[in-house]
Amino acid sequence: MKQIFLSIALTLHASKSYKKTKDFIRDILNNSNNPYKKYVDITIIFLIVTSVVILIYEVKNPVPEWLDIYDIYFVSFVFSIEYLLRLWVHNNLTDLVVKEHKEATFLGREFSPSSVLKEGFAEKVKYMLTPTALIDLLAIFPAYRPLRVLRIFVLFRVLKLLRYTKSINQFTEVLSNKKFELLTLLFLLFFIVMTAGIAIYVLEERLNPNIESLFDALYWALVTISTVGYGDISPVTTEGRTISVLVIISGIAMISFATSVIVSAFSEKLSELKENRIIEQVNKSKSFLLVCGYGQMTKMFFRQSETHMDNYIILENSLERVEQARKDGYEAIHEDASRYHTLNKFNTEHSQITILCLTGSDVENIYITLNAKSISSKIKVIARASNSSMISKFEHAGADHILLPNMVANTMIHTAITQPTMYKAIHAILTGKSIARIDEIRAYECESIIGKSIRDLSFKRNKLLFIGIHREGEFMFNPSLEEVVKPHDILLVMGRQISLNYFKRNHGWRD
Amino acid sequence: MLNKTILLFGYGNHGRFIAKGLFDDGFIVKVVESNETFYHEALEDGHQDTVMIDVTKDEALQALHPETYTKLVCVMDDEHLNVFLTLSLRSLFKESYILSISDSIHTTQKLQMAGANKVIDLYEVSANKIHNILNRPIATQLLEEFVVHKNSIGFKEMVVPEGSFLESIMTDDIDFSPFGVLLVGMIDEELGHSFIFITAGVNHKIDFGDTIVCIGENDKLDLFEILIKNKEIPTDA
Repeated sequence: MKQIFLSIALTLHASKSYKKTKDFIRDILNNSNNPYKKYVDITIIFLIVTSVVILIYEVKNPVPEWLDIYDIYFVSFVFSIEYLLRLWVHNNLTDLVVKEHKEATFLGREFSPSSVLKEGFAEKVKYMLTPTALIDLLAIFPAYRPLRVLRIFVLFRVLKLLRYTKSINQFTEVLSNKKFELLTLLFLLFFIVMTAGIAIYVLEERLNPNIESLFDALYWALVTISTVGYGDISPVTTEGRTISVLVIISGIAMISFATSVIVSAFSEKLSELKENRIIEQVNKSKSFLLVCGYGQMTKMFFRQSETHMDNYIILENSLERVEQARKDGYEAIHEDASRYHTLNKFNTEHSQITILCLTGSDVENIYITLNAKSISSKIKVIARASNSSMISKFEHAGADHILLPNMVANTMIHTAITQPTMYKAIHAILTGKSIARIDEIRAYECESIIGKSIRDLSFKRNKLLFIGIHREGEFMFNPSLEEVVKPHDILLVMGRQISLNYFKRNHGWRD
Repeated sequence: MLNKTILLFGYGNHGRFIAKGLFDDGFIVKVVESNETFYHEALEDGHQDTVMIDVTKDEALQALHPETYTKLVCVMDDEHLNVFLTLSLRSLFKESYILSISDSIHTTQKLQMAGANKVIDLYEVSANKIHNILNRPIATQLLEEFVVHKNSIGFKEMVVPEGSFLESIMTDDIDFSPFGVLLVGMIDEELGHSFIFITAGVNHKIDFGDTIVCIGENDKLDLFEILIKNKEIPTDA
């Protein structure tokens, strides 16, 4: 038996496809940054909503049989699969067995999978007892309509929506920060209701025809303290009315207290919630920019954006500057980009992230560069450096591009002095002005140009000046007209923006 | 040599690099500083023609005879002083060409109001570069090599001489690629010295005296500048 366990565990542990499948399912079920998770969420929400709608419709109308089958079998089947998958991916039993086998072999003791399996199953049971897992389990059962009380199962399907509704999750998260205050309040409520309920029961049980049991008395106390006051039960003695007055006063005080606790919890967390929402939004993009620092360079960068930018967030240390950025109409959050947990919040796995380190401090920019590269080498970093002596430091830190504002300006001044008549031309080309933009045509984005010769592409007819081809890291200036475009070539051309876009679109490019 | 004289105000963050670049390109540069440390650094770097004056004094500026220089370049580290200097120079020397650097978004407009002919905004050009790196990284890198490093490929402007084979040719009919160079644009004197890009979609007739701007390998550009003096299209191209 042990050997069977071991061989199964070893086979699964060694199987790349098993691991890949499990990781994929875990990611798609639990990682909100996974681009496909939204499809799973939408499907489950659709099933829940339809299931509830069927039950509501069924209250006064006969339901066709196929809807019954859909609700009882199909929805339940999908929920069962989802539940089992969540249970499966929660932890890895195979890893535990393999680890135990390795330890047993190393120590020369007997291989005993039962203890680790117990540990693994205990972990799974622990998960099964969590509120969300219990709701998932109860939501599998369809609302059995003939028995009225079993219709309560539909409630679990509604509760299952909690898992997919971020705002409710955030609400509970915010309230959980005020657990102490709310528990105190609850205890106080319990104490007053019990005291007032018992008092009214003792005082009026024989005099008040509406109070027949202690439950009636407690029900009256709760209805009164909550200031609802149905009026179905009311005190008939002076003593009872005196208790009512005290209960009403304490009820008002408690409602005020509860309101202030909830409001203060939200006001404390409001900016954090907003910022988390911004991060979640940008994490859904395939590629986005993180701009570190909101100084003059960042302001100018945004001013010069030709089109409205969507996929970006400004990360700024200073609260004052964050406020300024928001006033200027930009998405900014109050975070320190040099901290690991800040950058780790972003979807480094599924999105292409470019970080612009534009703070005025070299130390800060280098630290952010190192922080980004330590999280993922896939993150592209464009860093600002104050002078050329910093270049090697930024290169060591892993920056992909280093920007030296002083150097750029000095070059422009030098060009303006040494080549005055050409200055406008070069300036226009360098700044990418619409009349003379030098742009790159990536062959893989314009598939129809692949395999064609430069002559066939008729650049001149398209009012473009073909300059050369960038191929495998080398630049071929003005190659022969018979040169054929290869799949990974980047063609360098000059022309107006409209000419470039027209040419690209004609060759399969999609904006 | 007369049109290669530059009066450079400031030997700080920008001045020292500009002075070196201009010196390497054969310009005659006179450095003016009001900061003693920078003044000594300029002398140590070999710029013997360096003077230290109080640039806020008109008499001191007049004594430099800025009107005899082709361009006045204001790149003082102190941006307030730089704006004041630009204003002083403009009020004293109406005809001089003044080029200034701006270290902040708000200073650019002030320098323009002060009378600078050209203002290079450090943040504007840098932000442009970030956009270029993001949108067309390869093109940006290559362009930088063409303009800044001039390793093998660069831009060159050439005046069309009288009797050149280029005279009366329309820009649409031109193909310089057999000469290893490409025509980027031209300055048409008839149209008031404006620069016209070849890709602008306007067909122009080249006259003698016009300036053409080409891109190509540096040695081929030099050769082409000689070839355009010919009356007939060179057949060995």
